[in-house]
Parts: sequence; structure tokens; C-alpha cells
Amino acid sequence: MDEKRITGKMNIVLCAISILVLVILLFPLFWTLITSLKTEKEIFQIPPTWYPHVLNTRSYAAQIETGDFNMFKSFFNSFMISSGAMLIAVVLAVPASYAIARYRFVGRKAMLLGFLVTQMLPVSVLLTPMFIMFRNMKMYNTWGAAILADATIGIPFSVLILKNYFASIPKALEEAAYIDGCTRMSAFLRILIPVAKPGVVVCAIFSFLYAWGDLAYGMTFILDQEKRPITAGIFNFMGQYGTKWSYLTAFAIVAIIPVTLIFIFMQKYIISGMTNGAVKG
Amino acid sequence: MKRIKSFFRYDNIGLLYILPAFAYMMFFVGYPIISNIVLSTQNVTVRNLVNGQKQFIGLDNYIAIFKDGVFIKAMGNTLTFTVACLVFQFLIGFVLALLFSKNFTFSKTVRGITMIPWMMPMTVTALMFKFMFSTDVGVINFILRTAGIIKENIEWLTTPDTAMIAVVVANIWIGIPFNTILISTGLTTIPQELYESAAVDGANAWQRLTRITLPLLRPTIESVLVLGFIYTFKVYDLVYVMTEGGPVNSTHLLSTYSYKLSFDMFQYSKGSSVANVLFLILLLVGMLYLKITMQGEED
Repeated sequence: MDEKRITGKMNIVLCAISILVLVILLFPLFWTLITSLKTEKEIFQIPPTWYPHVLNTRSYAAQIETGDFNMFKSFFNSFMISSGAMLIAVVLAVPASYAIARYRFVGRKAMLLGFLVTQMLPVSVLLTPMFIMFRNMKMYNTWGAAILADATIGIPFSVLILKNYFASIPKALEEAAYIDGCTRMSAFLRILIPVAKPGVVVCAIFSFLYAWGDLAYGMTFILDQEKRPITAGIFNFMGQYGTKWSYLTAFAIVAIIPVTLIFIFMQKYIISGMTNGAVKG
Repeated sequence: MKRIKSFFRYDNIGLLYILPAFAYMMFFVGYPIISNIVLSTQNVTVRNLVNGQKQFIGLDNYIAIFKDGVFIKAMGNTLTFTVACLVFQFLIGFVLALLFSKNFTFSKTVRGITMIPWMMPMTVTALMFKFMFSTDVGVINFILRTAGIIKENIEWLTTPDTAMIAVVVANIWIGIPFNTILISTGLTTIPQELYESAAVDGANAWQRLTRITLPLLRPTIESVLVLGFIYTFKVYDLVYVMTEGGPVNSTHLLSTYSYKLSFDMFQYSKGSSVANVLFLILLLVGMLYLKITMQGEED
């Protein structure tokens, strides 16, 4: 609906409504942020305070010191695991999606269906078999196990998204490259991938975010708290210090830093990823 | 050699491009799916997981779980959870999409910002809602008390009935952006002229909604609901972090119960059976979805 611009009073009313919607929707985030900056005493105060009367940055400072409240290490683990999963997903998905978009090879439909079905897979189906597999591969309790497992979420998503991008590139562009002396491989690497770059960025972002949000794999395949991702760290901490809300909320805020950064700098990619990924398949 | 070369000459060269991704998925997903089926027909517990004799016991695990009260309860919970989430997140998402389809100053910016909940790690979302729903420090109790809706603090997460409400609310929060953005995209495909000519013919806003928007949006609505069903039916982290299935199994979903059986009680084969039932249900719904979307689409 490319509706014409609304002006005047109606515009002000709609803006006010949308701000109200935003305030309600983002309240949990606001509340978490505020709480993370309060002292334990102020958190338990009734009625609650709507902003920290005494600013307490202890919960953040403790995360880079040694001891139980250190989340810095977990953050780093999460970062490495998510980057690894992202790399695998993008490297494998780019050629695969190109193949689906361009060539009508034997078994194409079946493979496409396979990628679609994996998106419906509940994580619990894979946990025990993967657990046994990683033990046999001597990868249990390493980042590698989580990386390999997390990539299985990113790959099918990326293949399905990217095939639409590659399919939308005119064939003439590729043919022109051949005429200019490109081989199939160099045309793919030097012409097609750069043109499909927005799609590749979408895939990278989502593969990273899926891995960043994962709890089940990180918690099941990695035993040592030292090597676990931040989600597992938070879960663990909740079990041990369930009511230390100043620390817990600060962990939550730190865990969403990458999400926030990605959102601020790459918003348009996210919306494109959500719509393409879901509707098309 | 020559035959191999000619096989890959034209379209089949695509196989070489797709092979790495396909092999990866076969190894890390395909094989585990099969081995999970095998596992569910054995008697694997912590004693014989890695090495040791695994015995084939046929469908005994499936028979056992269908006689297990907690499994039946988890099945019911999963359905309640999914339906409750779908209804509310769809309705709210729909209203928001209609709001943002109007072209006012903040429409695009605000719609963009509302996507944030969807991107957050579910563990973090669970933590935030656990905090807000906690009995004494919880801001939700405070707001309800101040508004005069309740007199005494509700023990949201430790009472069976209210615990389900709490996890549903948290999941709706995650689901709203997904619904909003997909319905928004659907709305952009409806030609504006239809509304203009309807207005000329004297149709009021309600008539325009029910006679133009809803019928034309049907394909979008169908996919939003089916996809929402699939995503919600297999939710795991959110509930596991908020309640671990408790109190008294009142929020156990098939996913959390399967995890609990396998990794808390070490009854791996039983846990696998529950996971397979969950997967089968999703597969059936998924096939329905594919049938809807693949219709008339060549690829």
C-alpha cells in the first residue's frame, strides 16, 4: 500500500500512538537496563524507582574482573562460536544457493526440500545423536562442537534466502562475463557474488544471530563454564544466584550488545532477511 | 572419464556447487535424524550411551511415553501454548501492521525498532520476563496492584495456572515483530486504487478491511499462521530458562520434556521418542505449508 503522506492533525495522532506502542513494547528492555544500574537494595525497594537514584556500575565492572561474576570470557566464547558458525554457513551456502538458482541438476528439488525440512526441525531431535557424535569425534566440550552444530541452523536459512538473490540477477550479466573471457568460476566469484552482496550480508547476520542466541547446543555440548557461550553462562548463573538481579540484568544487557549494534547499523538487512526468509520459504 | 565430464557439462555442474553444503547437512543433520529414530527403538540410558550393548526394543518407548502422564500433559501444554501465542501475536501484529501501513512521519522508523524483540537471544528474553514476573520485586505485580486489578501479589511462576500465562506473554512479545513485518509486507501488495474506488463507492473503514484487506491478504495470513505454528510449537529455550517446565510440569512442552528426559534423567531413548513425536507433528504441518506456498511456483 503506497499510501499518500499523512499530514496535519492525523499525522500527530498516529505519531503519538506509535510512540506509545514503542514504549509498551520496549518496556522490558528499558526496565532491564535501569535495573542493571541500580544497587541490590534499590531493586528491592517498594514502590520501585523508575530510574536509578544511586548509580551502580559494579555489576558491569565485575564482568571483566576475575571471579564468579565474570562474563567477559563467556562473551568472547560466544563471539568465537558465532563467528565460526557464520563463516561455515556463508562459505557453504553461497555456492549451494547459486546452484539452486541457476542450474536444473539431478535431485535439485529433493535437496531444496531437504533444506526446507531442516528449518522445521526441533533442536531436541538432534541433541542426543550430536552429543554421541561429538563424543566419538573427540570434539565434546570444545567450541568446535557448538560451531558445527550452530552452522546447521544458518546453512538452510542462508541457502533459501540467497537463492532468491541469485535468481534475481539477470542471466545476461553472466553471459557478458563469459564473452569477456571469464570462466564459470571467475564469473561466479568476481561478478555474481559482488552483485548478490546484500543477500550475503543478510545471511551472515542471521547465521551469527542464530548462533549467538543458541542455548541448547552450547549448554549440551560444552561442559566447562570456561568455554561456554554467554547464554549458557547466564542460565548457569540464574541457577546459582537466582535473585541477584543487578548482576543478572547486567549480563542480559551485555549479551544483547552485538544484537543492538547489528540492529543500529544493519537494520535494512534484517527486515529483508525476515521477510524473504519466511515468505519464500 | 569422458562420461563423467559430459555428465557435468551442463546443468549438473550445479551438483558440484551444492555438494559441500549438502554433505555437511547430511552429516550433521540427516545422520542424526536417522540415528535419533534408531535410538528411540533402543533402551539407551546413561549406562550404555557411549559404549555398551544397546538393545532393540521396538516401539516400547513410544508405548511407554503415551502411557506417561507427563508426556500427555506436555502435549496438551504445547498445544495450549502454541494456540494462545498464535492468537495474540497475530492479532497484535495485524493491528500494528495496519498502523504502520499508514504513511506518517514515524511509521518506518518505529516499525523498524519494533523488530528488536525478535532478534534477542531467547535466554535474555526469558531472564527479563522472569524478573518482571517475579512475586515480590516483579514490576508486573506492582503495576497490577497500583492499577487496582489485584490486591495481593500473584506468584506468577510458582503457581501452575499463572506460570503458563507468564511464558505465553513472554513468547508473544517475541512473536509480535515477526507477525508485524510479514503482514506489513503482505499489505504492500494490495493496490491502493482498490481502497480509493471502494471509498468512492461509499465503503466504510470496516467494510474496506473485511472486503478488501482480509481476502487479499489470505495467502500471507496462511503462511504467517503456519510458520508461527512451527516456530512456536518447538520453542525450547524460553520456557526452559523461565520455568524448566515447572511448577509440577505445568509448563512442560514436548521440547522441554524431551530435554529433561535425555539430559536430566538420562533416559536418552525415551527423550528421543518424545523428540520424534514433536518432529512428526511439525513435519505434517510443514508439508501443509509447503503445499500452500509451492502451489503454482515453479521452483
